Amino acid sequence: MTLLISLAKVGRMPPPRASDVASVDLLACDRCGLCLPLCPPEAIHLALDELVIDRHACTGCRKCIAPCPVGALAMVPA
Amino acid sequence: MPDIDVLVVGAGPAGSVAAWEAKRTAPELDVVLLERDRVVGLPVRCAEGVGDAGLREFVDPEDAPWVARRITRIIFVAPDDTEVSVAEGRTVAWILDRTRFDACLATGAAAAGVEVRVATEAAGMERGPDGRWRVRVRGPGVDGGGEETLCARVVIGADGVEAMVGRWAGLDTRVPARDMESCAQYVVQNVQFDPDAVYLQFGDRIAPGGYAWLFPKGVGIANVGLGIVALRADGRNAREYLDAWIARRYPGSATVGSTVGGVIVNPTIKQTYGDGVLIAGDAAHMVNPLSGAGIVTAMKAGRLAGRVAAAAIREGDTGARRLSAYHQAWMELLGEDHRTYYRIKQALEGLDDRFYNALARTVNGIPEGKRSLRKVFAHALVKHPQLIPVAARYFI
Repeated sequence: MTLLISLAKVGRMPPPRASDVASVDLLACDRCGLCLPLCPPEAIHLALDELVIDRHACTGCRKCIAPCPVGALAMVPA
Repeated sequence: MPDIDVLVVGAGPAGSVAAWEAKRTAPELDVVLLERDRVVGLPVRCAEGVGDAGLREFVDPEDAPWVARRITRIIFVAPDDTEVSVAEGRTVAWILDRTRFDACLATGAAAAGVEVRVATEAAGMERGPDGRWRVRVRGPGVDGGGEETLCARVVIGADGVEAMVGRWAGLDTRVPARDMESCAQYVVQNVQFDPDAVYLQFGDRIAPGGYAWLFPKGVGIANVGLGIVALRADGRNAREYLDAWIARRYPGSATVGSTVGGVIVNPTIKQTYGDGVLIAGDAAHMVNPLSGAGIVTAMKAGRLAGRVAAAAIREGDTGARRLSAYHQAWMELLGEDHRTYYRIKQALEGLDDRFYNALARTVNGIPEGKRSLRKVFAHALVKHPQLIPVAARYFI
C-alpha cells in the first residue's frame, strides 16, 4: 500500500528539467581538463585551448561545479 | 591523406613511451606523436615526485639533467602537525623537472624515428570503411594553421584526464565525483624544510579526501600543493584550501608559480581498447588510487600499448580482440593491484583526524633507526585495532 502511494507521488512529480546550465568563466579557467570526465552527458570539451560547454547537452546536474580547483564554473539560467 | 601506422595523441610520459616502444618493436612502421601544446612538457600539471625503483626501469636518474632533487626520507605529518619521519637508508624517490623530463622522453622517441608534431591537437576521429581511423587535427602546428586529416591503423590515446580519444572511440572514460582529486599547487620560495624529504600531511580540515604535500625542487624552493575530494569539502575549492594551508604552515613564503589539475583515483577503466584504439595513462585512470602517483604507471602502460600496437600491425590484425592483449597485460602488471589499493582507500575514508594523530604518536614510539614500513605496520595494527578492517580489505 505504501509502495503504491509512493509510486503515485513519483508519478505526479514533474519530469526533471534543467532550469540552469553550467557556464565557465574563461578568465579564471586554467584549462586543466578536470571537469571533462566528470560530465555525465560529456557536454564539456577543450578546443584550441578553450573550455567549451554545450549548453544544449548540459543537464544541469552540477557535478562539475564544486570540483573545479579555481571555482571557474557556475550555474546560469539556461 | 597521410597514412600512418601508429598515431599517439599526447606527448606526456605515456604517449612518448608508447610511440618510442612501437617504433623500437617494429622500426618499419610510421609512428607519429601529437602534442597539443607548443612545447612538450609545458605547462606542468604535476607534483613531479616519482618512486626510485619504477623510474629506473626506464631511465637512469643519477646526474640526469631532468632531476631536481634526490629524496631519502618521507615525513608524514598528522592533522595536529606531529611529524613522523620514515627513512629506509636509501634513495626512495626523485623530484623531477617535468618540463625537461617529458622533453627528454619525446626526444628519445624522435631519435628512434618517431615523428613528433607539436602545436597540433586532435579534434575528432571516425573509423573509415577500411577499418582505419580518420583523425582530424588542427592548431598552429598544422600547415597553413588549418585542419588536416590523418589516417591511422592504430590510435593510442594518451591524452590525460580529458580522455577525448577514448570518448571518440566509444569507451567510457568518465569519473565519479568521489574519485576525482581536485588539486592546486604553487612553486614556493623562502620556506624552511628538509630538502632531502617529501612531506605529506593528512587531515579533514587540511585536505579532505586527499593530502597536502611539499616536494623539494631545491634548497628553499618546493612544489607545495594539495588534493581534495570536492564532495567532502566545506565549500571551498582546492586553491582556497591551499592558500589556507600555506598561510598556516609556511607563512612568509613567496609564490613563484601555480598550477591546478585533476588526479583520477578510480581504478582502470573497464575497457582500455577497441577496434584500432588503445588508451594509456591518466586517460585510462591508470593512477595509484592511494598515492595519486601516475608517472611511472603511465610509462609502463605506454610501453605495453606501443608493443601490442606494433605487434598487431605486423600481424595484420588491429581488431579489438587482438588489442585486448594490452588490457590483459596491464591488469596483470598493475591494474589488479590498483583495484586492491582502491578498496584500501575506501576503507581508510572511515578513519578520522583523531585516529591519525594517535597513529603518529604510536609510530614515533618506535626508534627511528628501526622504523621500517613493515615494523610500522605491525606496530600500528597492535595499537590501533581500527586498522584491522583496513588490513583485511587488502586480502579481499
